[in-house]
Amino acid sequence: MKLLTHNLLSSHVRGVGPRGFPLRLQATEVRVIPVEFNPDFVARMIPKVEWAALLEAADHLRLAEVPKGPIQGYEQDETFLRKMHHVLLEVEVVEGTLQCPESGRVFPITRGIPNMLLNEEETET
Amino acid sequence: MPPNKPYSFVTYKTTEESKKAYATLNGQNIVNDLGQKIILYLNFVEKAQWKELGLQALPPGLKVVEEIISSEDEKLLLESVSWTEDTDNPNFQKSLKHRRVKHFGYEFHYENNNVHKDKPLPGGLPDICDSMLEKWLKEGFIRHKPDQLTVNQYEPGQGIPAHIDTHSAFEDEIISLSLGSEIIMDFKHPDGVTVPVMLPLRSLLVMTGESRYLWTHGITPRKFDTVQASKGHKSGIITGDVGDLTLSKRGIRTSFTFRKVRQTPCDCSYPLVCDSQMKEPPPSFPESDKEASQLEQKYVHQVYEEIAGHFSSTRHTPWPHIVEFLKALPSGSLVADVGCGNGKYLGINKELYMIGCDRSQNLVDICREKQYQAFVCDALSVPVRSGSCDACISIAVIHHFATAERRMAALQEIARLLRSGGKALIYVWAMEQEYQKKKSKYLRENKSNQGRQEISSDPSAQELFVEPVPDTGHQDSACSIPSINDFQKGRYHSREVANSMLPIHTNRTSFHSQDLLVPWHLKGNASKEKPTEPFGPAGTHDTGPVLHRYYHVFCEGELEAACQTLNNVSILQSYYDQGNWCVILQKA
Repeated sequence: MKLLTHNLLSSHVRGVGPRGFPLRLQATEVRVIPVEFNPDFVARMIPKVEWAALLEAADHLRLAEVPKGPIQGYEQDETFLRKMHHVLLEVEVVEGTLQCPESGRVFPITRGIPNMLLNEEETET
Repeated sequence: MPPNKPYSFVTYKTTEESKKAYATLNGQNIVNDLGQKIILYLNFVEKAQWKELGLQALPPGLKVVEEIISSEDEKLLLESVSWTEDTDNPNFQKSLKHRRVKHFGYEFHYENNNVHKDKPLPGGLPDICDSMLEKWLKEGFIRHKPDQLTVNQYEPGQGIPAHIDTHSAFEDEIISLSLGSEIIMDFKHPDGVTVPVMLPLRSLLVMTGESRYLWTHGITPRKFDTVQASKGHKSGIITGDVGDLTLSKRGIRTSFTFRKVRQTPCDCSYPLVCDSQMKEPPPSFPESDKEASQLEQKYVHQVYEEIAGHFSSTRHTPWPHIVEFLKALPSGSLVADVGCGNGKYLGINKELYMIGCDRSQNLVDICREKQYQAFVCDALSVPVRSGSCDACISIAVIHHFATAERRMAALQEIARLLRSGGKALIYVWAMEQEYQKKKSKYLRENKSNQGRQEISSDPSAQELFVEPVPDTGHQDSACSIPSINDFQKGRYHSREVANSMLPIHTNRTSFHSQDLLVPWHLKGNASKEKPTEPFGPAGTHDTGPVLHRYYHVFCEGELEAACQTLNNVSILQSYYDQGNWCVILQKA
């Protein structure tokens, strides 16, 4: 699971609504998998990122050199874009957990796959 | 022209006459004898062809004994049953809008389609029946003496949905005496063959063996039957000899169905449809959200987990229109694939950031092997932020939900994920596997497909025919387009015969029912498999396990209608693609 994916995930435990975001990330195994740098692609991602959530997740993974937010003229700033490329697309959580901040419910991440299935009592009706 | 519906064809001597008839009659309102408003729809067709049915035989074990009682006896029998309200009488069953029913000997319960074996009704069978049965036994028309009687009265327009009499409730021989009016009874084999059988007045229908245990029987709720003019009122099968067909108006028909209650479990040779021999009851049309969820668990989720590897090997060719949709999305779009399966579409456009989700862990594992971003979840509850996706696709997913409400909920989830202006592409399996004169690939890949197309019509003049929906819950009607109200009220179909079974489909043939189970012949050695798309191998010599997946196939317009009830999306495009109904939506 990449951090960009984490940025989209939200808890859907019944009654939690938007308070289910962001999921608290804990990792026991993290891998860096190189991805071809496409500056245009990364630049288009920037406006879609929820920064607070990204920073919190990066913090839990103890990542260094994570930009605190979009800087002016980021579209042309290669240094900035490369850092974002790394954080968003190259860091993969292989084993870990995602926790709903509101209900405390824990979702496992196994072999890079989050299992977000809820049982019947937990699902929103 | 929707399949499995009755149509009438009229030919005129001149084009002018036909044009005049069309102009005068098309769209006319008429009122039928029940006071129902009917609109006449006419349409021009280039030609009307029909499939030659070929020689059909009566279902094995079936026989019809004609004139088994006299008119006097018929009168006596009809008079012996009193239909007046008598709530003290335990035999009495209040009539609904459906046929009237009365039981003797043992009470029949429609909730579980079984009898209360320890609680026989006082009085037993009427005396007049007793002497009749003794006579028939002596004359060899029947072999066992029944101890249960159900009297059914059908007014014209009433019927009974197709069913098999519960194996564990009754012994092999089931007999039915027809009084008051002749009628056509339809017998259906699980393979899809239908045999319409004429039951003349004062005849005795005897069902044994295969006709009792395997074929379903039912009566279509209508006021006229199509019969063979030359045969008069004799028994037999109604064949496809179009020149000989005529309409017969129904009268009030009363049937006396005699059965012998079974005291030991059924040990017939048809275990697939036998409730005694099956560890669990055969899957039936769900009557609640909980039942729907259980059905999906057993006949969708568990099956995909088991077939994941084999399934994935048959899903390798991306469909062009879907590729087109994905490639047209702006670079840097965030796209969710709800029900991504083996991730077939996750890598199509490298300019997109695609995340896939599926209910099957094993299928998601396959996505992961291909280095895609995927997670496990339920499509009714996608754990993604609202309004975060630039686009969504959901290909061949929603047809696995067992109620209209759940299908709607899945569509609502997809709409929720989209940002304002975002687009979604949805594909579902179509009921109509033949469209605009062309068979879908699914049908074409059936080598044994013979027979010509039944009716061809000018595709430019395609119109939806709407019949007044009879209130007897007619199970045979191919498609009913639910109105917007139906979706909002959350209506479930009411069924006359409780827990109507889901039919099992024969692969690579046309669909006869919207809700059904589709077999998957599991093969371990997937590499030897000839890759066939899109819905399962055509294998005819399978000795491997067969698993069944539940589907609700969609009629023309059904997906659109469902999308139209979503108040935050508009339909950009709606089309048919190789046996699928497809819609492109845009979020407001």
